[in-house]
Amino acid sequence: MKHYLDLIKISAGQRRKENRMTRLCIVLAVFLVTVIFGMADMEMRAQRIQARKTDGSWHAAFQVEAEQGALLSARPEIRRAARYGTLNYHLKDGYLLQGTETGVCGFDLEFQEMIPDARVSEGTFPETDREAVVNENIRARLGTGVGDTVELTTPGGDTKQYLVTGIAENTALTAELDAFCIFLNVDGFLDLYGEEDSADQELLYYVEFRPFCRIQQAIDEISRQFALSPEQVRQNAKVLMLMFQSGDLYLMQLYLVAAVLAVLVVIAGVFMITASMNSQVAERTGFFGLLRCLGATRRQVIRFVRREALSLCRTAIPVGAASGVLVVWVLCGMLRLMSPGLFEGLPVFGVSWPGIAAGAVVGLITVLLAAGAPARRASRVSPLTAVSGNAGTVHAAKKTAGTRFFRIETALGIHHALGSRKNFFLVTGSFAFSIILFLAFSTAIDFMHHAITPLRPSAPDLYLLREDQTNEIPLGLAEELRGYPGVKRVFGRSHAEFPLEGEGQNVIVLSYDIQQFQWAEGALIEGSLQDAVDGKGVVSVYRDGNMSAPGSFVKILMGEQEQEVPVTGVLGDVPYNYGLDADTGQVTDLVICSEEMFQRLTGETGYAVLDVQLRRDATDAQVQEIRRAMEEACGSDVVYSDRRIRNQETRGASYSMSLFLYGFLAVIALIGFFNIINNIAMSVSARMREYGAMRAVGMSTAQVTRMVVSETMTCTVFGVLFGCMAGIPLNRLLFRWLVTSRWGDAWSVPGRELMVIVTVMAVSACLASAGPVKQVRKLPINLLTK
Amino acid sequence: MEILKVENLSKVYGTGEARVEALKKVSFSMEKGQFGAVVGASGSGKSTLLNCIGGLDEADGGKVFLSGRDLFAMGENERTVFRRRNIGFIFQAFHLIPELDVEQNMIFPLLLDGKKPDQERVEELLEVLGLKDRRRHLPGQLSGGQQQRAAIGRALITHPALVLADEPTGNLDSRSSQDVMDLLCRASRHYQQTVLMITHNRNLTASADRVFQVMDGRLKELGGGQNETLS
Repeated sequence: MKHYLDLIKISAGQRRKENRMTRLCIVLAVFLVTVIFGMADMEMRAQRIQARKTDGSWHAAFQVEAEQGALLSARPEIRRAARYGTLNYHLKDGYLLQGTETGVCGFDLEFQEMIPDARVSEGTFPETDREAVVNENIRARLGTGVGDTVELTTPGGDTKQYLVTGIAENTALTAELDAFCIFLNVDGFLDLYGEEDSADQELLYYVEFRPFCRIQQAIDEISRQFALSPEQVRQNAKVLMLMFQSGDLYLMQLYLVAAVLAVLVVIAGVFMITASMNSQVAERTGFFGLLRCLGATRRQVIRFVRREALSLCRTAIPVGAASGVLVVWVLCGMLRLMSPGLFEGLPVFGVSWPGIAAGAVVGLITVLLAAGAPARRASRVSPLTAVSGNAGTVHAAKKTAGTRFFRIETALGIHHALGSRKNFFLVTGSFAFSIILFLAFSTAIDFMHHAITPLRPSAPDLYLLREDQTNEIPLGLAEELRGYPGVKRVFGRSHAEFPLEGEGQNVIVLSYDIQQFQWAEGALIEGSLQDAVDGKGVVSVYRDGNMSAPGSFVKILMGEQEQEVPVTGVLGDVPYNYGLDADTGQVTDLVICSEEMFQRLTGETGYAVLDVQLRRDATDAQVQEIRRAMEEACGSDVVYSDRRIRNQETRGASYSMSLFLYGFLAVIALIGFFNIINNIAMSVSARMREYGAMRAVGMSTAQVTRMVVSETMTCTVFGVLFGCMAGIPLNRLLFRWLVTSRWGDAWSVPGRELMVIVTVMAVSACLASAGPVKQVRKLPINLLTK
Repeated sequence: MEILKVENLSKVYGTGEARVEALKKVSFSMEKGQFGAVVGASGSGKSTLLNCIGGLDEADGGKVFLSGRDLFAMGENERTVFRRRNIGFIFQAFHLIPELDVEQNMIFPLLLDGKKPDQERVEELLEVLGLKDRRRHLPGQLSGGQQQRAAIGRALITHPALVLADEPTGNLDSRSSQDVMDLLCRASRHYQQTVLMITHNRNLTASADRVFQVMDGRLKELGGGQNETLS
């Protein structure tokens, strides 16, 4: 031993048990921060992977002329630039491939680095203006392969022949629209324009900036240099947001919210560790008094407590960080499992260095901050406490326990909780903080519900639609498809529109099968669905205040004949937009009935839409088989759509964000739980001698239990009150920033979230009392008073 | 040579009806190498006197000079450093640091001062205290007498101007008590160490050069020098 601080090392070995709680608190704080930052990092990685897959990795695109384009590409901050242009984007302009409208994209080879959708999956990128890459749809439907020739007819009637050099995968959009698309190089693309002067103007320069470049500043400079209007500049908002490079005000607000939440997490950690260290210091008043007595200055005591706290970090930080990483692994594994295609780039055993660094740094800073108050408290311990024999006993009470309203043991419990004002605020403050944190984070869930629409259970992977909405898709096709390999469910809807009697308005009647009625159960506002399933009536759909109440009748004019159909229930929402005219805003009433009733009403047997849901392991070959069967049964008057890629994207975004946010909330609830347990255990252990004395003078174990429970409950009730007082306004503020400012929804008291966290707190309080009470019961009285 | 000088030392606890005058203008002085004993009934103010002289407690009036320095004229930090260099404490309950062995406990005040212990001095003290073969033992592994001897070693290690002992034999059997008293006497004689000891056992005052009695906050010298009670 060469220095007085060496005592820390020596005493750590002896005080392992006493240090356990503080160490656990540090582990928890580091774990919490590592998980939150690690999850945020992984979520960002997941989002980046997804964003790159769906939107590409480009940062900005500029509509400039060729000369300007050359200057743009030569700018030092630009890592790569590529030209891109498109023709017949809406598939209406008359560029035809064997009679089918075909989208034409022209771009430089470099463009593939920025947009994965532009990559050639088989073969090579066109080198000459007479070469082309065709998409998967063309290969599947026309049987075109590499080395074949395709002929494209232009709106002017010219035909151009291209040698197919490669095949490209379908994108979400081309799969959904069942669209043909060919890729040309820029020369080929410009050649298509012929003499049209504006060809250059149609080309956009997509650019990717170098790392660490201030992108918004660079975009502004480029816009100024080439005098570009805002319409001539595009930004990849999602990717820029994920790089913290977006200039969007709303995104700035998002960052602000993230910063507020990160600060809250750090404060929660400080609270936890401070409370734990304070208890430890309180227990060791005698020891610090002795140090002072032996001549240790206040500064030396402060240094001692700080160093001791830091020495605990040596094991606590790695353990906390390791457990945080483990949780992040589990979450990443879950993401990959839930959405394998989309998150295959996400490493299962990826280590989030920012997460670990944040955990370690925040843990260290937290410990230093948290150790500050106890250290000062320790330094203020009078040397007299060591010699007076009062060390180790509780502080002298200033007020008597209020025994007028409560029994003595309950009054003492409440008094213990409220006795030391500082300790009371620290303990209730830490409880309140869990609530504040929970309420603050829960606004992110509201944000998620608005930002990402989860995939509805009824969402089809493939669908077949009669464009004229006639019910000519045969019922037998559904039955036939059910037998195909890879098919999970097949369901259809029939469609009819009738004038309503006397009102000059129409009503749309849709048919549902049993499965669709089951999915609709959650949206039922009023009445009964079963009656509709049984064919006793229809359910109306609430739209813009229009609805027919259950018990009323819809009077339909069928030709000359009027038919009264009873309304059995009302649905709040349906996943379809039948009868909603987006252009005029006009709304047509919608009612839903069973398939049998639809046949009775209309006399038609057949569907207007047929939806197919596939098994997870369905292959492309199986999908092609299904498609062939559909075409055979329906001919070419139907629209076929493959929504698999789109569904996967929606599902992936929804999964990753849900997992991330609900994971956060679970961790916060866990903090609240541990916090209460830890605080009460410490409070009880600090008073163990007092409890022993009480037991010695005749207090029963049941009374001790009541005393501990009333202390716990007092802290919890006040913690909940303080938490609500601060948490609800914060919830309101964050809700306004995140949701109201964007979607206009009004804020309401987060009742459900409050219930969840208050229940967690109440359960924790019950469990928190149980452990120490057991401890008090187990110890013999003579041991307690020693 | 005068080491300790106490002038009109007063200490009051509480207010109103609860007001207690623990020390009433106590004055006395001690020469280098003197061994003083303070006796008195429980609650008479003995410990308060010791705590005020040791700078552990603030006085409400009066002055304490140690080696010519006014203890209460110093700031808190300065007083702490002065105390660890000039005053050695011996407590009834030993108050050794349980995690440190005998030798570590002894050198601890030096370490607080950032000094390197003089190994010869340590060996000598261990020899004098009879703890040479117990130097690596933790306090929990020692008898009460051995623990108190280790505490005496801790008090003497810094060559303090004054050793204050508060009932050093209060927790010990008669044989250990005698050992401790012998050691304190030896320290006083051999190292010319000024020692002021509180005891309620009048038999132990036999070895003291001067004996004081505290009664109702007033100090009276019973033997040795002249009566220095001021009131």
